[in-house]
Amino acid sequence: MALGLTIIYGVIHVFNFGHGIVAVLGGYFAWLFMAELGLGLIPSILISLVIMFFFGWLLFKTTINPLLKSPNWEFSTIIFLLGMGILLENLTLQAFGPRVKSIPPFFEGSLNLGFVWINWHEISLIAIVIGFVILLNFFLRRTWFGQAMRAVAQDMEGARIVGININQTFGHAFALATAVTGFSGILLATKYYMTPNIGWNWMVKGFVIVVLGGLGSATGAVYAAFIMGLAEAVVTLYVGSLWVWPSWFVMFVIILLFRPQGLLGGRTL
Amino acid sequence: MNGQGGRGPVLAIRDLDSYYAELQILRQLSLDLGDGEMVALFGPNGHGKSTLLKAVAGIHPPKSGTIQYRGREISRLPSEKIVEMGVAYIPEARNLFPEMTVVENLNLGAYNRRARKNLHRNLDWVFSLFPRLEERKDQVASTLSGGESRMVAVGRGLMSGASLLLIDEPSIGLSPMMKKGVFDAIGHIKRETEVSILIVEQEVDYPLKLADRVYLLKKGRILFEKPSSEVTKAEIEKAYF
Repeated sequence: MALGLTIIYGVIHVFNFGHGIVAVLGGYFAWLFMAELGLGLIPSILISLVIMFFFGWLLFKTTINPLLKSPNWEFSTIIFLLGMGILLENLTLQAFGPRVKSIPPFFEGSLNLGFVWINWHEISLIAIVIGFVILLNFFLRRTWFGQAMRAVAQDMEGARIVGININQTFGHAFALATAVTGFSGILLATKYYMTPNIGWNWMVKGFVIVVLGGLGSATGAVYAAFIMGLAEAVVTLYVGSLWVWPSWFVMFVIILLFRPQGLLGGRTL
Repeated sequence: MNGQGGRGPVLAIRDLDSYYAELQILRQLSLDLGDGEMVALFGPNGHGKSTLLKAVAGIHPPKSGTIQYRGREISRLPSEKIVEMGVAYIPEARNLFPEMTVVENLNLGAYNRRARKNLHRNLDWVFSLFPRLEERKDQVASTLSGGESRMVAVGRGLMSGASLLLIDEPSIGLSPMMKKGVFDAIGHIKRETEVSILIVEQEVDYPLKLADRVYLLKKGRILFEKPSSEVTKAEIEKAYF
């Protein structure tokens, strides 16, 4: 979730408020393939990812790309994305119905570490995320596609000079971020439940994580996510789960007060 | 590093007008560049030298006038197409990718499809021109000195396999030793390849020695154009004022 946000911000320098719903949509597509069409878990996920990628790209081409040519495009785009988020949420509500859905966890059973039980499923989630981040990193550094995005993020004029098509790269980044976010939505859906509105919650958390990690730094986002996850667990354990949400916001304010650029902020993809 | 089989002169610019918002920078500017030639454009700061190069590169398109590259009109084309056609712009500000290493920056110079097949060969060539870069190839670009980053900028331009180089004040802000290094490399390129070069400079000595012809730009217009053998440094400097 945070990775998707940070990719979009790092490359296009625009914050995507419609992001939450994208995650949820990813989850829904996967559910659709699994429940309705009876496909296995992995094929469903892969197909969802591909669909999300093209969906993101198509969305970009038809709506944001034209906007880029107008003055003040940064603002128009942010507002547009917010509006789009709301629209998509309601469309999803129409299409899939308001009842809660879920995707089954990957593994049953838990691991006993003596003083605590951990679900195998949650372990696998962590492993998947770490694996995914490594894969993404590899992809960014070893393909022309990924290098173009890094270049645009670091020096847009330099990117233009070596012959990179800036708008096309924006589109790619948006599509990639959409797919990544869709994937995160699927993972989240296995742990929690799924309704069209839950995207906002996830997005707020994603937002705090991204700010903590530094806007535009993917590595920062990963570190921050782990820190916040840990913090959340600690708060729940010692203070009680009611304090979880407030603690997110307290954390947010603290970051802004003392280190607004985040842990690895100022750096780019 | 070949030319593209010339069809017409490399560059034929006619009556170019360029603006920044309401301010007119280039006025009815005309200029020619032949295949394999090196032309030096001198002139005071702010009078349009960079603007001309950016117009050719497609980075700051002109308001009116024509730019023909090997017989094809390019003044309205997007920059990525112009790069694909064999034109490389080497900016004064370098515009390197600060968090990438030297070699990553150079590799990106070969981003256009034509250049990708020759990436390794071009990389070897760039390292032979600038051995210092090879020593520092895994160093992050933001930590390089002024001279070294200038070398990377030139090297990156060469990686594109271009047949026309547009070089914007390569020696500005460099120590005398670095200047010599950069101009030596440019001299190598001129002598050993068929690449055409349009170089813009404040510094007169080296470019005057290397170039075939010289143009003087003042207030957005060409004041004069002469073969470099028929012009002296004093004449050029006098024309600045």
